Amino acid sequence: MRAAIAQYYPGTSVIHRLDPRAKFVAVSALGVALFVRTSFLALGLYAAAALVAYLLSGVPAVWFWRAFRPLLWLVGLTFVFQVLFAPGEAFFSLGPIHLSWQGIQTAAYLTLRLVVLVLAGSVLTLTTPPIALTDGLAWLGRPLRRLKVPTDELALMVTIALRFIPTLLVELETIMRAQRARGADFSSGGLLTRARALVPVLVPLFVLSFRRADDLAMAMEARCYRPGVVRTRLHPLRARAADALLLALTAGVIVAGTLL
Amino acid sequence: MSLACEAVAFSYEEAREKLTALRDVTFSVPAGGSLALLGASGAGKSTLLQVVKGLDEVESGAVLLDGLAPGHSGYALARRQTGLVFQSAELQLFAASAREDVAFGPRRLGWDEARVAEAVDEALDLVGLPPALFAERHPYALSGGERRRLALAGVLAMKPRLLLLDEPFVSLDPRTRQDLVMVLERLRASGVTVVLATHDIDLAWALCDEHLVLERGEVAAAGAWDFGPSGGLLAGGRLREPFLVQLWRRLGRDAASAPRTVAAAAEALA
Repeated sequence: MRAAIAQYYPGTSVIHRLDPRAKFVAVSALGVALFVRTSFLALGLYAAAALVAYLLSGVPAVWFWRAFRPLLWLVGLTFVFQVLFAPGEAFFSLGPIHLSWQGIQTAAYLTLRLVVLVLAGSVLTLTTPPIALTDGLAWLGRPLRRLKVPTDELALMVTIALRFIPTLLVELETIMRAQRARGADFSSGGLLTRARALVPVLVPLFVLSFRRADDLAMAMEARCYRPGVVRTRLHPLRARAADALLLALTAGVIVAGTLL
Repeated sequence: MSLACEAVAFSYEEAREKLTALRDVTFSVPAGGSLALLGASGAGKSTLLQVVKGLDEVESGAVLLDGLAPGHSGYALARRQTGLVFQSAELQLFAASAREDVAFGPRRLGWDEARVAEAVDEALDLVGLPPALFAERHPYALSGGERRRLALAGVLAMKPRLLLLDEPFVSLDPRTRQDLVMVLERLRASGVTVVLATHDIDLAWALCDEHLVLERGEVAAAGAWDFGPSGGLLAGGRLREPFLVQLWRRLGRDAASAPRTVAAAAEALA
């Protein structure tokens, strides 16, 4: 059992080696640019940029497909709704349904926009280990510390949570197996029956998680963790020329897109 | 219930590769017999037990229960009569009372409440947790050793004829360990077939007629205990000889006829 949460494809491509902060800023900027008024041409430019990043990442297409699959119905629905109900000069009408070139154009536009966004976002998550991403976000959130937002602590919480997702999944699997060995059935019956079958699984999982949390807190204290104190890192984030280049390229693409 | 594995193979599907966990595993245990499942960590002991219980389907080969092959009409019943106690089973307790937790399995078998109650009381007694004292207690209010025994009761209440135990002695104090050994001896006396996966070679030697050593998913040794002339046969499984066997060797006696228990050794030496 391997969940698709926070999936990361290990690799050493150019994109993998970029600083998570730079990648995050670039993808966010692209995301904003996509949703500010954009021409078709600009959209094409952004799509090309995202595609280049995808090709450079060296991540197999299957992994991107996995990220797309859950969004497929959303994309499909957006397209169909826009085609059918967008205002425009109809060339075909049937009751409340109007087909217009404008409608089809809008639909294609909105769909493409979503696809580019998901593609860019996937490049980010697939090439950045979740913990590096969290570290990057903590760094970017530093100004908030002036407002007494405990950014480092929040980042640590997220890191710990991410770290324990696989552990909890393994435990969940073991507990479910143990219950199955005692005759539990998780795969038949209605929704209510299935939900009820999960109670014997969740109770030990919670007990284990709390115990583990207790142990971890104790272990961290034993190793001198104190909240509110500035921590140093084993692998400090270090921006390189490539990161500056990425930001410059992104800025260039967005400026070009806005002018187009 | 007799158990036989015929050329059983199993592998885990990981994200990018197939990890072979069991390869060509063949052995058998007669009805009422007992088998010690030995081997280094990661050798495939737990996987083998779960495959025998049917939680994982074999990739090839077959698990025969009572001589029946999968697909036979009596096979499903035989599988239900196979009990598997997981490693650290005490971590899997969930009900609000010991009685309710033990009753979970029997209820899944569709027994009526009177029969369930009887099976629960019997199982609690068997593991040394008298129902009068323990049935209404909350599982998490029990000690570690009591919880381990409660988890065992949860499987025993289903009246298994083949009992698979995955490291039942781990992290128990010596006294609790001894209590558990007595439970297993009682079960053996009542005709239950036992497969015991353990690292505790001395207990395995005391409790089991035969042994099976797994080495990276393959059978390195199987059948009657055999330590070889120099005792090197177990080295591949990262094992050592039981202390009583070592003692017999030091005394210049025949290792193959070494006693199983301290009492037997004392008697032989007296």
